Amino acid sequence: MHLPPWFWLAAVVLISWGIVGLLQKLSTNHISAESSLIWLVVGFFLLQPLLYPGQALWTYSARSLTWALLSGVFNALGAWALFAAMRSGGKASIVSPFTALYPLVVVLIAPLLLHESISLLQGLGVVCALTAVVLLST
Amino acid sequence: MSTLAIFKVKWFWYSILCVLSWGAWALLSKIGSNEIPAPTMQFIFTFGTLPVALALLVGRRFQLEKSPQGIFYAVANGVLSGIGGLAFFAAFRTGGNTSVITAATSLYPIITVALAVTILRERLTWLQIAGLGFAAAAFIIFSF
Repeated sequence: MHLPPWFWLAAVVLISWGIVGLLQKLSTNHISAESSLIWLVVGFFLLQPLLYPGQALWTYSARSLTWALLSGVFNALGAWALFAAMRSGGKASIVSPFTALYPLVVVLIAPLLLHESISLLQGLGVVCALTAVVLLST
Repeated sequence: MSTLAIFKVKWFWYSILCVLSWGAWALLSKIGSNEIPAPTMQFIFTFGTLPVALALLVGRRFQLEKSPQGIFYAVANGVLSGIGGLAFFAAFRTGGNTSVITAATSLYPIITVALAVTILRERLTWLQIAGLGFAAAAFIIFSF
C-alpha cells in the first residue's frame, strides 16, 4: 500500500485536534466558552518562541503573509460564531454536526479557486468523511 | 421547525458564519502554505487569532473565571491546537489535494469520541458507531 505523503501529517492533526475536542469539553465544564477561546489563544502564544522565523519572515511575499494572517482571523471568527450559535439557542446536537460541514465549502470552492479537481474515488472518500463527521458530532 | 422558520433564528446564521469562516480558514491555509513553511504559517496564524480573543476579552469586560483547572485545560488546548495546526499547514505543503486533505483532517472527532469512551466513560450512540464506519471507509479510500 502506497500512502500519500500527507497521510501521516493528517494523522498528527487527527490525534492532536482529537485530544483538543476532549479538552474543550473539560475546559467548558469549568469556564465559559469565550474564556476557553481566550486561554486557547494564550496556549497558541506559548508555542511562538519555538516557531519564531527570525529575519526569514520578511523574505515571504506580503500577499502570502496576509493569507496566513487572515487564516488565523477566520479560524477564530468561526470558533466565535460557533459559541454564539450555541448561546443564541442552537442545540449542540444540531450546531456541532452542522458546523462540521466546513470541508464542503472547500470542496465547492477549491476547483474554482485553486483549479484542483478530485477523482471520483476521492470524491467518494470526501462524502464518506463528511457523513462520518456529521454522525460523530451528534 | 419548518424550513422557513429556520432562516429566522439567530443560531442558524451564526452556524452558517462558522461554516463559511472555517471554509475560508482552510482555503487560506492552503494558499499561504504554497510559499510559507508550516512553522512560520502557524506563527503568523497565531497573530491572526489575537483580534478575536481581544474582542471577546473586551466583551467580557476583562472578567474571566478563575478556575485553575478550566484555564489549564484551555491553555493545553491551545498548545495542542497549535501542534495540530503545524501538521495541517505541513500537509497542505506536500501538494496533496486540498479538498481531500481538508476532509481527512476534519475526521478528528473520531479521536475525541474514542477518548470520551475510554476516559470519560461515555457511551457511543448508534449514529456515532455508524460515523466510525464511514470514517474507516474514508481512510481506506484516501490511502489509495
